[in-house]
Amino acid sequence: MVQFFNVSKAYQRDLNALSDINLKVAKGEFVYLTGPSGAGKSTLLKLLYCAERPTRGQILVNGRNITRFGSSRIPLLRRNLGIVFQDFKLLTRRTVYENVSFPLEVQGRKRFEISKKVYQTLKNVGLEHRLNHYPLQLSGGEQQRVAVARALVVDPLVLLADEPTGNLDPEVTLDIMELFKGANARGTTILMATHDRGLIHQFPRRVITLEAGQIATDDLPLVDGFADSM
Amino acid sequence: MRQSPVLSLAAVGTVAVALALLAFFAIAVLNVQQLTASWGENLAIVAYLDEVPEEAKLKRWVKEIEAYPEVGSVTFVSRAQAFERFRKRLGDDADLVEGLGVEVLPASLEISLAEDHLSEVTVTGLVERLRRDSRFDDLQYGQGWLEKLEAFLLLLRISGSALGGFLVFAALVIVSNTIKLTLYARQDELEAMAMVGGTSLFIKLPYLIEGTLQGVIGGLTALGLSFLVFELILQESLGSLLLITGIDTIHFLPSTWQLFLIACGGLIGLLGSLFALRKFVRYGSA
Ligand SMILES: Nc1ncnc2c1ncn2[C@@H]1O[C@H](COP(=O)(O)OP(=O)(O)OP(=O)(O)O)[C@@H](O)[C@H]1O
Ligand SMILES: [Mg+2]
Repeated sequence: MVQFFNVSKAYQRDLNALSDINLKVAKGEFVYLTGPSGAGKSTLLKLLYCAERPTRGQILVNGRNITRFGSSRIPLLRRNLGIVFQDFKLLTRRTVYENVSFPLEVQGRKRFEISKKVYQTLKNVGLEHRLNHYPLQLSGGEQQRVAVARALVVDPLVLLADEPTGNLDPEVTLDIMELFKGANARGTTILMATHDRGLIHQFPRRVITLEAGQIATDDLPLVDGFADSM
Repeated sequence: MRQSPVLSLAAVGTVAVALALLAFFAIAVLNVQQLTASWGENLAIVAYLDEVPEEAKLKRWVKEIEAYPEVGSVTFVSRAQAFERFRKRLGDDADLVEGLGVEVLPASLEISLAEDHLSEVTVTGLVERLRRDSRFDDLQYGQGWLEKLEAFLLLLRISGSALGGFLVFAALVIVSNTIKLTLYARQDELEAMAMVGGTSLFIKLPYLIEGTLQGVIGGLTALGLSFLVFELILQESLGSLLLITGIDTIHFLPSTWQLFLIACGGLIGLLGSLFALRKFVRYGSA
């Protein structure tokens, strides 16, 4: 589903944020990206949704080489992705309902289809009673659940999440993880950047550790006492 | 979507002022142009005749000159007619010519120009041609004034276009900046829309519409403003100025020009917002 071939990214000359990354993530996989601050986790995800371009190398998403995607094809790529940001990036002037329906509207889906889907997705994240609230009237955890709903409402091929639980308390973190697991079970490939070792321990999946822009380790989950059944 | 009202007002205001100014100049130019046309109608070249030829020959001459494309009509004025006219023009002082014979005034051909050939160039061209003709003793025409009027019109057009162009440019910049300020405030929102797959047109459209609308409102305001100024001031002052010259009605902009003015406003708004949006909704930096 996702492949990196000798990908390097330098924001400044001779200063690689990522160097020579080779990576393959199969369809339906759940992958954690971890590593110290500045290791390049966010950069790797940004390359996948074309917010940044690789300095060298090729990136494939769903069999398409996105490396040279122009501004007309990027929106189309993003419609197949679900993106969850640490800072939510919700539309503050729009209601919860409008936020979640936005990706569907952009795709030109039919109105009744949109409302059904949005309601269903909001129910999944437990916010169906907050339809008409504005994001800033919600708690941080609720806002993040709206963001997750917005990412999942399109049934994305790939879900990219950059520290989606970074600011949330453990209970909300578990809620979010359950949502991700659900989407993963329905076939969505997930790449999630996180610092949270405990979380990785609690829900063990494949873990890619970046260090100074390179892949330091790439481990499949240990099946031990903490392991959630795979 | 809601912009700060002060900003919107500034955008609409500058568009209105710029276009109203253009409208004033257009009104002035159009009316002075009307003057050229009406003066041109009276414009005649008078060719004095050395000797009055016999009737048949005279008719031939008249036909010959009338055949020139730039000539409207040719009228023969005999010595007697010229004398009679002269006496009439003198009015109360008519007794001055008492005792003078009709032979003091020469007979002449009055040559008026065809409607679509009223310009300094054609007049001088025609005069040159007639001058080469030995049959005519002397030629008289309104040399000079037409040239001056045309120069004045040109000045009016140039200064109007320059000032108007400058103001339109200023309006473009201001519209662009108001939209840009709104966009700065919405940057996160625009980015968020782009992140979930909004095409740039989908994201930009509301802003383009808003800019165009501001421009159209500016254009309408300009129209209203210039009509008001026309009614209250221009008609009086320009009217009395032009009245001396024999024009009794001053016209407002014709309806096509009015539509053009509004369309110009819309275009300024559209271009201004397009310009502002160029920098935004890029897919790069996230
Ligand atoms: N827009 C940018 N311009 C210049 N350098 C950047 C930019 N974004 C990231 N970098 C640099 O690239 C490197 C990798 O940054 P990145 O954000 O990918 O790290 P990260 O692993 O996500 O870190 P964190 O855990 O703190 O989020 C860092 O050295 C950072 O300074
Ligand atoms: Mg990061």
